[in-house]
Amino acid sequence: MSGDKRFRTGAFALLLSLFLFAASGCGDLSKDELNRGVESLSALAAQGQLVASGVARDATKSTYARVMAKTLGGEAEHEAEKLADATPEAGTEEERDAAVAVAGEIAGLFSELQTFPGDEHHGSLVQKHLEEAQEKAEAITARLNGEKS
Amino acid sequence: MKAIFKIALGIIAAIGGFLDIGDLVFDTQAGALFRYDLLWAVVLGTIGIAVYAEMTGRVAAVSGRPVFDVIRMRLGFGMGLVALVASTIVNLLTVAAELGGIAIVLELLFDAPYSMFVFAAAVALVAIVALLPFGGIERFFGYGGLALFVVVATAFHQEPNWGDVAAGFVPSLSSSSLYLYFVVGVFAAALMPYEVHFYSSGAIEEGWTEENLKENRLNAIVGYGIGGILSVALVVVSGYLFHPLGVEPNDLGTVALPMQGAFGETGLLLALGGMLFCVGGAAIDSSFAASYNLAQFLGWEWGRYQGPRKAPRFTASWLVFLLLGIAIAESGINPVEITEYSVVFSVVALPLTYLPVLLIAGDRSFMSGHANGPFATVLGWLYFAIIIVLAVAAIPLLLATNAGGG
Repeated sequence: MSGDKRFRTGAFALLLSLFLFAASGCGDLSKDELNRGVESLSALAAQGQLVASGVARDATKSTYARVMAKTLGGEAEHEAEKLADATPEAGTEEERDAAVAVAGEIAGLFSELQTFPGDEHHGSLVQKHLEEAQEKAEAITARLNGEKS
Repeated sequence: MKAIFKIALGIIAAIGGFLDIGDLVFDTQAGALFRYDLLWAVVLGTIGIAVYAEMTGRVAAVSGRPVFDVIRMRLGFGMGLVALVASTIVNLLTVAAELGGIAIVLELLFDAPYSMFVFAAAVALVAIVALLPFGGIERFFGYGGLALFVVVATAFHQEPNWGDVAAGFVPSLSSSSLYLYFVVGVFAAALMPYEVHFYSSGAIEEGWTEENLKENRLNAIVGYGIGGILSVALVVVSGYLFHPLGVEPNDLGTVALPMQGAFGETGLLLALGGMLFCVGGAAIDSSFAASYNLAQFLGWEWGRYQGPRKAPRFTASWLVFLLLGIAIAESGINPVEITEYSVVFSVVALPLTYLPVLLIAGDRSFMSGHANGPFATVLGWLYFAIIIVLAVAAIPLLLATNAGGG
């Protein structure tokens, strides 16, 4: 009986610690994880520029551009949600907020490309704006790594 | 002249049937992450599949025994069953990944729901298998897959620094677990076990005898060799375009982007068309391989040439594997992720497939004058040693790198 009681007490203590750790929310998005998230955003923006370049040059198939924009836009949205839901490591809140904003911006641009996959003018604009979004993402990475941006 | 034509057809089929979703994914990701540094691993894998395909084709032609017959004969029922279970899991995952791959390419071409295309792809495959003879199936997908030569044209069009490309063929190792994970992935993608299961059973389907040994050798060396060139080209175009931009190719559609960049819509359509045929051919090969293995291990009548009436359990099992593949592909798991797992897990199953083949192909009492010579013996054992090392490292690397996610 006393063994059972000890087991139950131990299990309760373990569950309580896990709950408190989860509830505290401290550091569930480390600086490295945030960095990786921002790098993913930069990669998505770079890939989006290639897709948009095809649209701008009338050198693609509109179904391809639309599906790619939908897929990449979904990835950007997912990244935005992941970053927004997590609690950033102390001192990186500003970068986290900036990253969420860039992710939203990239997702919006993909949405525009998805709507106009055969429009060269929109393709050109989206390409330009994705380039700017990539630069913003790279600036966040630079700040996180302590470089001057 | 007729014999030369037949050999040429076989080589063409081997080239087109070499690339599957695993090669498309791993080669493109390897180029994006490490530029040309992993070209040596592509070459290593290509030589490996040519060596073992030649052996399995030779064993099949000389003895009339396909791979799983040989596995059960040399490993016995217990270990043979382990090999069967491992191979079946990997083959099933591969069927699902290839079906998902077909659906993704169709979605990119026609912009309709993915899930509808998974089902449509399976129906189309059943129709093709029902309507075409065995050789016709191979050639249908093989010729279509040749459209992927647009990747080679893209590599030349990009005009990379060929000195840097050449340096990538020199083997190099790094302490980075991500680099090592991709060494395993690129190597394993070339040596997927279903390829030899299908190749050896196909030799029996086509009635090969000792007279076909020259054809077997040419198919294996030239066919897989030129197929390897396609793989090299995938790494080069990805390394040239994606690496400097930091693009992470996590989607099958991204594989076609360099060809769009080089040749516009024509390049894009050729790339997507070639991918469709390659992945479709691999779906047929892997689903057939799963049924061949099961039927050969359990001693059922088997073979496409026998038809459903003479080989009902073989035919039924093929349909079941296809249905299970549909179920997995429709489950919502990204086919690229299924591919990564099937390729890495295949490494673990490789020794159980290749050891019995190596033993039988070198057995003079069984193969008489067609047993492995000194060169094939050394090469075979060298590759087996590499396979063992990679089989041990595969799962820890998969876990350490979060399946290549870093």
